[in-house]
Amino acid sequence: MVKSRLLLPFVIIGVLLVLWGLASNASSTSAAPLSVDRSAAPPAQQTEQYCLSCHGKPDLKMTLPSGEELSLYISPDQLKSSAHSPAGIECEACHTNITTYPHPAINFQTRRDLSRSYYEACQKCHPANYAKTQDGIHAKSAAAGDPKAPICTDCHGAHDVQKPDQPRVKISQTCSPCHQDVYDSYKNSIHGSALINDNNPDVPVCTDCHGVHNIQDPRTAQFRVQTPEMCAGCHADPQRMSKYNLPTDVYSLYQTSWHGVDISVYKANWPTIWHESAVCTDCHSVHDILPASDPKSSVNPNNLLATCQKCHKNAGPNWTSAWTGHNKIDPQRTPYLYAVDRFYSQFAQAVLWLCILYVVLQIMHALVDRVRRSLK
Amino acid sequence: MSAVNSAAPATHGVQVVRFFARFARAQRWEHWLLFLSFTVLFLTGIVQKYRTESWSQNILSTPQRLVWVQSIHHVAAIVLIVEVIIHLAHGFYLLARRKMPHAMFPEWQDVKDAGSMTKYLLFLAKRRPKYGKYSFEEKLTYWFLFFSIGIMVITGFVIWFPIQITTVLPGSVVPAAKLTHSTEAIVAGVFVLIWHLYHVLIERLNLSMFTGRMNENDMRKYHATEYERLTGESADTPDQGGQA
Repeated sequence: MVKSRLLLPFVIIGVLLVLWGLASNASSTSAAPLSVDRSAAPPAQQTEQYCLSCHGKPDLKMTLPSGEELSLYISPDQLKSSAHSPAGIECEACHTNITTYPHPAINFQTRRDLSRSYYEACQKCHPANYAKTQDGIHAKSAAAGDPKAPICTDCHGAHDVQKPDQPRVKISQTCSPCHQDVYDSYKNSIHGSALINDNNPDVPVCTDCHGVHNIQDPRTAQFRVQTPEMCAGCHADPQRMSKYNLPTDVYSLYQTSWHGVDISVYKANWPTIWHESAVCTDCHSVHDILPASDPKSSVNPNNLLATCQKCHKNAGPNWTSAWTGHNKIDPQRTPYLYAVDRFYSQFAQAVLWLCILYVVLQIMHALVDRVRRSLK
Repeated sequence: MSAVNSAAPATHGVQVVRFFARFARAQRWEHWLLFLSFTVLFLTGIVQKYRTESWSQNILSTPQRLVWVQSIHHVAAIVLIVEVIIHLAHGFYLLARRKMPHAMFPEWQDVKDAGSMTKYLLFLAKRRPKYGKYSFEEKLTYWFLFFSIGIMVITGFVIWFPIQITTVLPGSVVPAAKLTHSTEAIVAGVFVLIWHLYHVLIERLNLSMFTGRMNENDMRKYHATEYERLTGESADTPDQGGQA
């Protein structure tokens, strides 16, 4: 009797746990929007065939109130090779308001209005990414009234939606129609040329630095102070850097430098206050980064003084050697610094320990004297 | 140098203590300038040196505070430099007039004193060495800080005006000066805190740099040679070598 009374709470807790487990399991399966059963045979796509019986005609079009012509033709080939159609996602999944023929009247003034209205349908299946875009700079420009601010379909396509990163160069090319000047500067950089010419898997594409859906304004103080950490994501990664024989201590050495200490303090305490101390991109350039050996690089020895003078206006030709670089203290490259470092590593220890030793001896002698006198 | 107070008639229960003049008023003023500027420089300096530590960031909690701390450091540096200039100018004046007292200069006797003192501290000798007006410990304090402050002033200028300095000197002196300034500050700070403060506060309370004078007992024990030179008496006391 006593035993069963003791067991009762455990039984209740156990039952509750099982129920809770079932409930959370059930909710997680029902909430997973992308759990398309790809092992089954391709679905019939009956609706799609039905829609294409009209929309498969190349000359199907209408005129919007703005006077713009809206083609209503959907290429069946494009549709079938998209990411959605083979997965069984039918037309009305996105065109939720169209279920019958004749279609309900549309009241969009322009083609842009139409796109901006339909892309809302993406959030049904892609709620996380949709929510992220709402925090991004593109959503902010849209909210500020810019109709050209990109929506899902501008980057991903609509009926021809494809995996966005295959091949990888596609990501950066996706940004280029609107950010052409940036892309032009990027494509000749060490990162861009390796991406475009060699399909290099390690170099950053636009989204690696700027983020994907919640793209932030890169001109803010916050973005600035976190730049070194961002670059370090790759440039302090031994696995990635060893392939290209690049040093991985550039970030840790930067952090001990005058610039780096300033930036780390601002990052920790006042990330929203603009600070001029140099971050990686101030010296190495932003999109058009080139290796220091390249004569066009902003950190090439011949261009270095001009780069320093962007901030240190009156710096003279001797100035550039004040920069110890991302190099360790080295007898050849930084002889003065090396000498000072070697000297103090011995001298500081010697002073400290001699002072302590002498004072300890003094105190011990004084104590012994006192004891001796009291024993007299 | 002579005894300040001549002996008064001794009566029962009254002990007459003679004081010896040790530091002139100007020297005491110089010490005040040095003490204040050094303390302010050390405190405002370590806050900047350890900017990445959280205790420092609690003090430098706004960018404005960092500017203040740097300004205070610069003002204190100017005070210290003024003091250095006064000190050196006075030194050169005395040299030119051939009046420079030799008591502060290191001599072979100091090396011997250091050896004897070490023996005494290790119980290898019974008596502590007899020092002159300035013991080897005091001379070491003076000359250590003399060169430390020289290093700090020079390197401080290099990192205060790097652009101007590199019009003359190679750029690589700037990071070297920064490391030197930052490290020598700690070395000098440790030296003052352990060596100097032990000798003037703990070994015995020696306020002669503030009062300008030293009492007879301390003179006998710690500056025996000087005591004997000034008084013509023996400095030996029954409890020689004991605690003051």
